Amino acid sequence: MDVTFKVYRKDPEKDNKPGRSNYTVDVAEDSTIMDGLLKIRDEQDGTLAFRASCLRGYCGECTVKANGRSCFTCTAKVKAFTQKGPEIQLDPLRNMPIIKDLVYDWDAFLWNKIKAVQPWLEPGEPASNGGKPVTESEMQDLRKVMSCYYCGLCDEGCTVLPVDFDFLGPAALTKGYRFVFDPRDTAGKDRLKLLEQSKGIWDCVHCFEATEHCPRGIDPTKRIMDIRDKAFKVGISNERVARHHKSFAASVKESGWLDEGRLAVESEGLTNIKGLAALLPTAIKALIRGKAPIPYLHSKRPGADRIKRIFEKGEKDNK
Amino acid sequence: MKYAFYPGCVSRGGCPELYPAAVKVSGALGIELEELKDAACTGAGVLPQNISDPINARTFAKAENLGLPIMTICSTCQGVMLQANHRLKSDPEYRAKINKEYLAEEGLEYKGTVEVKHLLWVLFEDYGVERLKSLIKRPLTGLRVSPFYGCFLRRPPEVVVPTKAEAGRKTYLNDLIRILGAECVDFSGMGKCCGFPIITANEQNSLAMVGKHTGEAKDKGADCMVTPCPLCHLNLDGNQSKAEAQEGRDIGLPIIHLPQFLGMALGFDTKDLDLKRHLVSADAVESKVNMLT
Repeated sequence: MDVTFKVYRKDPEKDNKPGRSNYTVDVAEDSTIMDGLLKIRDEQDGTLAFRASCLRGYCGECTVKANGRSCFTCTAKVKAFTQKGPEIQLDPLRNMPIIKDLVYDWDAFLWNKIKAVQPWLEPGEPASNGGKPVTESEMQDLRKVMSCYYCGLCDEGCTVLPVDFDFLGPAALTKGYRFVFDPRDTAGKDRLKLLEQSKGIWDCVHCFEATEHCPRGIDPTKRIMDIRDKAFKVGISNERVARHHKSFAASVKESGWLDEGRLAVESEGLTNIKGLAALLPTAIKALIRGKAPIPYLHSKRPGADRIKRIFEKGEKDNK
Repeated sequence: MKYAFYPGCVSRGGCPELYPAAVKVSGALGIELEELKDAACTGAGVLPQNISDPINARTFAKAENLGLPIMTICSTCQGVMLQANHRLKSDPEYRAKINKEYLAEEGLEYKGTVEVKHLLWVLFEDYGVERLKSLIKRPLTGLRVSPFYGCFLRRPPEVVVPTKAEAGRKTYLNDLIRILGAECVDFSGMGKCCGFPIITANEQNSLAMVGKHTGEAKDKGADCMVTPCPLCHLNLDGNQSKAEAQEGRDIGLPIIHLPQFLGMALGFDTKDLDLKRHLVSADAVESKVNMLT
């Protein structure tokens, strides 16, 4: 059957401006998109650039968007994308820097960020010398994370990367999880501190787009939340976030519900005059409309004493 | 039709217009609410799971004792409770541990039978679209409305859409806008994050998201945006002027709570829905809607 591939093009050796080339090729009914691309390159246009490596859905190199849906071209069947007509539009993943056409700059997008989380174990003594062994369940959990093949789809879904390319992103932070939760690792607080730096775990909006996009079921969003929970337990090193979390927890612990006014001022810091002053324009507008919660004028919910007990127990377990 | 009502902190704090609007609209629809007055904050994804799960288990146990499902009016409360409930329902050992260690001393036990639903889901899954249609007194004809779901009404997939029967949850808000007679203005960010969770950690990124979403909806011709999440409202409405300054453009897109939007179609006087409390003026929406009566 004849299928027209409308392929995104960009060539830095020409004008580097995004464009599109249309190619109509005859492909077998059970072909993959990759079959079509290889045929185009062999028969029509040798300048078309795309990545092709394992050709069996394992290496994650050939991710693109076909008719708006992200997929691996080597496993995506042409017929799944041509039900409304014999046309397939191919675009790069949205958060990717492009080298040429559908070839991405994986260094900038992924590898530099993976390196930034220091993806190696800092081992202590071997288990035979008294070091900590890994249990079967711990290893199974880590193995799940290690099954990542760096296809970039979690970063493709990420809500933060489109507004801040320097955010480490779910793929690299999930790599961080692999070492934070390895009982053999001795980097401890230093490793958490590394992940807590600006552009790290606290910049994640936990929107679960990464989880929805991951083809391996690794659940990157939950991994980031687990690192955050661990940081909460051992002590958050990012000062601003620490103030925010401390205030949030304190008001729920003391009253059963959130004192939003208190949270706003305590997150800035009670001695941070500049930060507090920056809150004023919005606070005044809200006050005029009768909707700014006044800090500390906050009644206890019925049953607040029970909530306090839960907190005390949870905090004790954390120690 | 009765629910254990969990209004959440923000509907009485930063968005005090939401709570009364939800109560009024539920009354008009004939949905009876028994408020869980001694339930605590869900933890909102800020408190660690080992503290928030027992707190939420306690809330579920209280609803279970009333024999009622829980209704929320906040995507964040909904999502945090839904995820906690998923863990507690699917892992009886974990539930037993929490019952024993945290709830027993209050004489509570969560048996894992409670459902948690946002008002938006209640309308489609329990109340019924035809019944809702029969109560529309003021079809919102000509009003151009963009939907903004809030992350947790769409994800994570295994708890929001556990079976094909719940697949409609991805489009309920778009569907509701059309059912109430308004025109749905789709835009790419409708299911994305509003940026609120990082307003403290990275205000610049958070405001960039506000600017991106509200700006795109405005450019596509929306008169307003409707959201089932008061936390999204705090950012999209409360911080829109800051986002305008950061992004160097005017936006001025009114953000309306879901119950206010429903209330307009059910024939409420717009004054009774407290639209004047929003930081981005909703006067143009009010006049457009009042012209319809």
